[in-house]
Amino acid sequence: MRTLDHSDPASGPVGPGQRPRRADPVRTFLRVTGELFITAGLVILLFVVYEVYVTDLVSAGKQRDATAALDDRWKSPEPVDPADPERVERFEGLTEGAGFAKMHIPVFGADYSFTILEGTTEKTLEIGPGHYLDTAYPGEPGNFAVAGHRVGKGAPFNDIDLLDSCDAIVVETRYRWFVYRVLPKADEVAGWATGKGTDPRCGDVAPLGAPYERVVGQEIVSPLRGEVIAPVPHRLDAQVNPSAQARLMTLTTCHPRFSDRQRLVVHAVLVREWAKDPANPGETPPELKETS
Amino acid sequence: MYGWIWRRLPGPMAVRVLTALLLVAGVIALLMFVVFPWIEPKLPFNQVTTQ
Repeated sequence: MRTLDHSDPASGPVGPGQRPRRADPVRTFLRVTGELFITAGLVILLFVVYEVYVTDLVSAGKQRDATAALDDRWKSPEPVDPADPERVERFEGLTEGAGFAKMHIPVFGADYSFTILEGTTEKTLEIGPGHYLDTAYPGEPGNFAVAGHRVGKGAPFNDIDLLDSCDAIVVETRYRWFVYRVLPKADEVAGWATGKGTDPRCGDVAPLGAPYERVVGQEIVSPLRGEVIAPVPHRLDAQVNPSAQARLMTLTTCHPRFSDRQRLVVHAVLVREWAKDPANPGETPPELKETS
Repeated sequence: MYGWIWRRLPGPMAVRVLTALLLVAGVIALLMFVVFPWIEPKLPFNQVTTQ
């Protein structure tokens, strides 16, 4: 057996200016493999930085643009139909990616505000929370269902797992404010009247009766459970006259964080509605001040 | 691999360092603006809707 010294010409004296000796193929192979592994590790780290921070920056810009466009639209006078001079919301004809409402969650801070856009494609959700097509619009009977990212892309729904029952979700449209409150959670339903239900914020919130008995404030479901955004969640078979349907709002996001194994779902119910006063445009509903 | 690239960079040391930094920046930009946005929707991290 030859010693390492003899098999490796590099160990011989190398004078100044001398060319590196012929490479040992095994050594070259190992070095290149190692370098490739290190490179792969760095690329994956870079991807994490991209996913968690860079997409946030990109989305923040897009959300800002969407909000500015919506504000412009709300400020511009709408042609008034003389037969119907009332200030009513019109949501029909919204195109994919068009902003139509803002959502505020005061417990997440006074500055928590996102423009909700029509549709739930990847491109739309990059801009902000997206409204599931063919579900109700704000204030309507049925289920106003909205999806949002939880990691990166502005992560509007980052903390919705922290929403407590009765926390307000305030949806602002052109002419109105709609105050939804998170429904009782599964473990609170039984003792609601004497337990959490005595909280002053819970005045208008109570477990919903049939056929809504399975609708609770928070649930974690498989991604295949599309029935969570049905007009009567979990009851695709329920025949409820549209005008008799409860006015619900549903938020969906991924769960656990950084995974798409499941979906975190929050259900809320409409408790109050405020018309915006055209004479006093800066007025905001008192629920917006519930910041703690 | 990196040694091989380094030995092929022309010019004196300062120029080589600068070229190397530019190369690294180029690769990062390519990843950030082309590769990651393309691959991201295909990965199971960020699906938030139900079906």
